[in-house]
Amino acid sequence: MRSLLLGLSLVCAAAAADPDFVRDVRPLLAKRCFGCHGPALQKSHLRLDRRADALHGGESGVPAIVPGKSGESLLIRYVSGTDAKLVMPPAGPRLKPEEVAVLKTWIDAGAEWPGDTSAAIAPKADPRLAHWAFHAPKQPAIPPVKNSAWVRNPIDAFVLAKLEAKGWQPAPRAKDADLLRRMYLDITGLPPTLEEQDSFRGDWDGLSRELLARGTYGERWARHWLDVVRYGDTNGYERDAVKPSGWKFRDYVIRSLNNDKSFQRFVLEQLAGDELPDSDAETLLATGYARLGPWDDEPADPAEDRFDQLDDILNTTSQGFLGLTLACARCHNHKFEPLTTKDYYGMIAVFNGLDRPRDGRTELDRPIGKWPEIARFNEREAKIKALRDAARLAWLQSGQSKLAPEAVAAFLQAPKDREEAARKLVRDSTKALDAELAALPVEEEVARLKRETPDLPRGYFMEERSATPPATHILIRGKASSPGPEVPPSVPTLLVKEQPSFAADGMRTSGRRLAFARWVASRENPLTARVIVNRVWQAHFGEGIVRTANDFGVMGDKPSHEELIDWLAVWFMDNGWSLKKLHALILGSNTFRMSKTSNAKYAAEDPENRLLWRMPYRRLEAEAILDSALAVSGKLNRTMYGEFVYPKVQKEALEGSSDPDKIWAPFTDENKASRRAIYYIVKRSLMVPLMEVLDLCDTTRPSAKRQTTSVAPQALQLFNGDFVNRQAKHFAARLREEAGPAAEAQIERAYRLALARKPTEAERTAMTAFLRQSSLEEMCRVILNLNEFAYAN
Amino acid sequence: MRIKKTRRDFIWQTGGGFAGVALMDLLTRDNVVSANSILAPKRPHFPAKAKRAVFLFMNGAPSQVDTFDYKPELTKRNGQAYKGALTVGSNGRPVGYLMQSPFEFKPRGQSGLMISDLFPHTSKFADDLCVIRSMYTDTAAHASGCLQMNTGSIFLGKPSAGAWVTYGLGTDNQSLPAFVVMTDPRGGPIGSASNWTAGYMPAAYQGTLFRSGAAPLLDLKPPAGVDDSTQRRSLDLLKTLNEEHLAAHAEENELSARIASYELAYRMQAEAAAVVNLGNESASTRARYGLDDKLTADFGRKCLMTRRLLEKGVRFVQLYSGGGHIEDTWDGHNDCITNHKLHAGETDKPIAALMEDLKATGLWDETLLLWGGEFGRTPTSEGVGKPGRDHDWHGFSMWMAGAGVKGGQAIGATDDLGFAAVEDRVHVSDLHATLLHLLGLDHTKLTYFYQGFNQRITGVRGEVVKKVLA
Repeated sequence: MRSLLLGLSLVCAAAAADPDFVRDVRPLLAKRCFGCHGPALQKSHLRLDRRADALHGGESGVPAIVPGKSGESLLIRYVSGTDAKLVMPPAGPRLKPEEVAVLKTWIDAGAEWPGDTSAAIAPKADPRLAHWAFHAPKQPAIPPVKNSAWVRNPIDAFVLAKLEAKGWQPAPRAKDADLLRRMYLDITGLPPTLEEQDSFRGDWDGLSRELLARGTYGERWARHWLDVVRYGDTNGYERDAVKPSGWKFRDYVIRSLNNDKSFQRFVLEQLAGDELPDSDAETLLATGYARLGPWDDEPADPAEDRFDQLDDILNTTSQGFLGLTLACARCHNHKFEPLTTKDYYGMIAVFNGLDRPRDGRTELDRPIGKWPEIARFNEREAKIKALRDAARLAWLQSGQSKLAPEAVAAFLQAPKDREEAARKLVRDSTKALDAELAALPVEEEVARLKRETPDLPRGYFMEERSATPPATHILIRGKASSPGPEVPPSVPTLLVKEQPSFAADGMRTSGRRLAFARWVASRENPLTARVIVNRVWQAHFGEGIVRTANDFGVMGDKPSHEELIDWLAVWFMDNGWSLKKLHALILGSNTFRMSKTSNAKYAAEDPENRLLWRMPYRRLEAEAILDSALAVSGKLNRTMYGEFVYPKVQKEALEGSSDPDKIWAPFTDENKASRRAIYYIVKRSLMVPLMEVLDLCDTTRPSAKRQTTSVAPQALQLFNGDFVNRQAKHFAARLREEAGPAAEAQIERAYRLALARKPTEAERTAMTAFLRQSSLEEMCRVILNLNEFAYAN
Repeated sequence: MRIKKTRRDFIWQTGGGFAGVALMDLLTRDNVVSANSILAPKRPHFPAKAKRAVFLFMNGAPSQVDTFDYKPELTKRNGQAYKGALTVGSNGRPVGYLMQSPFEFKPRGQSGLMISDLFPHTSKFADDLCVIRSMYTDTAAHASGCLQMNTGSIFLGKPSAGAWVTYGLGTDNQSLPAFVVMTDPRGGPIGSASNWTAGYMPAAYQGTLFRSGAAPLLDLKPPAGVDDSTQRRSLDLLKTLNEEHLAAHAEENELSARIASYELAYRMQAEAAAVVNLGNESASTRARYGLDDKLTADFGRKCLMTRRLLEKGVRFVQLYSGGGHIEDTWDGHNDCITNHKLHAGETDKPIAALMEDLKATGLWDETLLLWGGEFGRTPTSEGVGKPGRDHDWHGFSMWMAGAGVKGGQAIGATDDLGFAAVEDRVHVSDLHATLLHLLGLDHTKLTYFYQGFNQRITGVRGEVVKKVLA
């Protein structure tokens, strides 16, 4: 028996020493692997019976066999079972160590595969690569139309050409009063005032220019972008702490839009504001983009958590700027798109240098300015700290402190050496000691230093602390604990002929994000311009030309007007990537000015209005509904910018919190809380209920589009809730003051303020009858709840 | 020419995004098209006994070795230092010393299911309980643990179990919320509303907080000074004006849905007020639920309201026992014994009364009950002489009962000390798959189009635990 065993192991030893593919390797693979990864079945798209396929690997995007390198071959990793979560074969006995050794030796010797012809099998061209959005847009010719009188600009030609092809007519122009309200709400999120209604003389292009120049434009449109970049003021989870200075990012977006910053620059600043040659306070704030998402400050697995956060940045970047669902390629090649794990981890490598400045669980903000200013400031801080440390030590040792000697002794201990008693002494006496230290002469020197180098404002962003970021590996099945081959930074392969250069060029950081951002914001990038043009279109028309605004891949929606979106994308780039010019173009079209009147025949054939035979109905977003109510009631606080505000929230809504007494700031100052809703705090563990029920977006991921639902709790909050009833009271008081006591005048003014039109005869009659029994406040409540209030004509 | 259309093409043609998916489901299941029916009842994927569910969430994490997982070996080794490899908490806290349960375990009912004397009332239903002793989860922190138990994911932003069921089955009663949540007077769970969120789905599917007072729902009552006739008059005016406006746009479903929502809200006002009005419950019923005892009154009221909500056709009710932090919840870090006596004492009798009533009314055969917390507690104490137990996510117990559940059994096992699940391990996602299966929903088919593809709303994990099924 013993000799038999010995004999067997000798055979194995011989095989392991010099394995033969035909005799040792192929039978083993055939017996244990081909069942699932062979000619008949290719689980996880892996095939091991042909060399080319085995070298290519399966859906993990990692080669199963790397000739000469068994250590990098996924096959060995799986069969040797070093990682308990990654074991193959999944059924039957594990491979014996001798068998693993055979495979290892064979691979290390070059993975010879006699008789294999698979290399000659030409790889099939991937038909998905022909997808329209993966190729740079070329400006198409403007199509000829019969009704050329309708065409105010090329948008109309593209829309009309499609309608005429069906023999259809565009809807007539909207009534002036309706169009006026539509324009105001669309651009500024606020209805026109009476003075604005009265003074308008029919110059629509002039009006759109004038409205785009207002600060309220940025306050409305910034929110569209904040939806995309998953903006929130807190990080969620147990402590759900406020991000210090985090709100400055929101202001940055408002300012950028109001200044009509080119979208190219807007991209560069957010992705790489700290790496720009002309980096300054503003661009550092922009870099806060990477740090807007949620995270758990008590993660289950810190290594996973690190990747989850990089995944959050990648997901937002790929959907937000590129309209690609690249995050689906974290664990395996994308199931539907021509995107691989290499593409995924290549983009992870771009961001892998970033870190959140923090002290334990406390998130930190950082001084902002030009880098030399920041360096001077940091130097000052270091000087001050050294001075104070020395003075503190001298003071404690001098015996002059009035503190108890035990407390002094406790302070003199290193924090890590302190026992509980000493820690308590330190806790209890810190205030007293600080008071003593504040009176020391060193503070004069500190004051001088502070005069010499003043404080800097602060901002909230991630930072790269060196020019060499950590190595990035493909993670097998997306697990941080299972690193595969290392990958360099890259952009998705399918979009470029060659990768941009990611060289650091002697920068203080890796420069990877800057290189990446320059590619994102380049004309060569087929997606960026199309994606933003489509977002702007969606915000004006309710639906995008591509209705999946975050997904321009092969799984995305087919464009309703492919030529139009390409024409717009090229026009946008030719016009300095100016969003305001794009708005003006859209607002200047007859397409935008159509009425919302339906047409039974067209509706039957095209119920989705994909051909844009009319202007579609859509509910205003939560923000615009609330802001309009405030504007109508006369209580809108038009202060721009600054820290978030806490609107009044129903006490009952706080009951679901684990910290009902601390989670929300008390409502003490109505005027302060009557700001536009974009300034409301976005607290991830407690969304403002009225905003939430009005379909505020998901704040944890890049949001493509707001939903519109109509459910009873919405009606309850709008009809019975504090906010609308409060505005109804103010609205009524305003009517009494401005229109006097006569019901007729009050009704007329109410309609003009809320709906920018006069009441119809029927409405006048209904309201007059109502006011005989009910109060003006009640009438105002009804008006603020009208469908027409939330759905502009 | 007939063109074969993909599901996605169809979705985009019928409404785009969510509306399209909902329509699709309605069409395929009921041959009905209605754009206003985001919460309309829908047929399950396959016939199932359970129509409704109640999740009794023991917030803070109850200890398995003190409740449903009898461990004589732990008693034998009481006081010994723990020598194993398992870790505690998320930040490397000491594992401590083995600590026996001070509670007596007895075989209960015909089945002889072992239950500790923390639950004298629930124990009477031992033959109805299916205890899963081999639960495990992925995290030892409350925030992510509660999220995982409620949404299947440790990350913020995923829809919760009540939202899944509401999305999958709709609701039979449009004038009450489909998914009701009742929290503890001491506060909500850590993570608050993210535990009953609809996540990336429309807010219509999210849990609605329901209170026991006169105004159980947010803004249910008209503002102060507005009586019912004024309210009705105002609503009538609103309706008249909105219908006039609609006349010019008759095909606009969103506008008519919004008109309907105000009428539903008005009906909800009456219905919800009726549910919380316990005046017509007999004195003996009130006593059975423990309304006459300060200890049990709050949870008792919630259980009684739960019965009344189920009777009205509410789809999913989640009750929280414990709220806020540490000892105000089942999170017995300092003194697990006193802690569990309190929280079990508050809930045991009301839960038993609910079970009794469900059986008496016949609702039992259509209602699924689920009991448990976000994870378990260690069989060790946090220090010598300190009877607190730390978080244990390697193994813990939960129970299911009611429609479709095979009662009187325990599934799976932890190791000899009750620390980690070792036999028939059941991951939280497996529990979720089982919960949905019992309600007639296939968790692999319950998908929602989001972030570029049809996502499985429960996440990618999960296998139905067949042993649970009757």
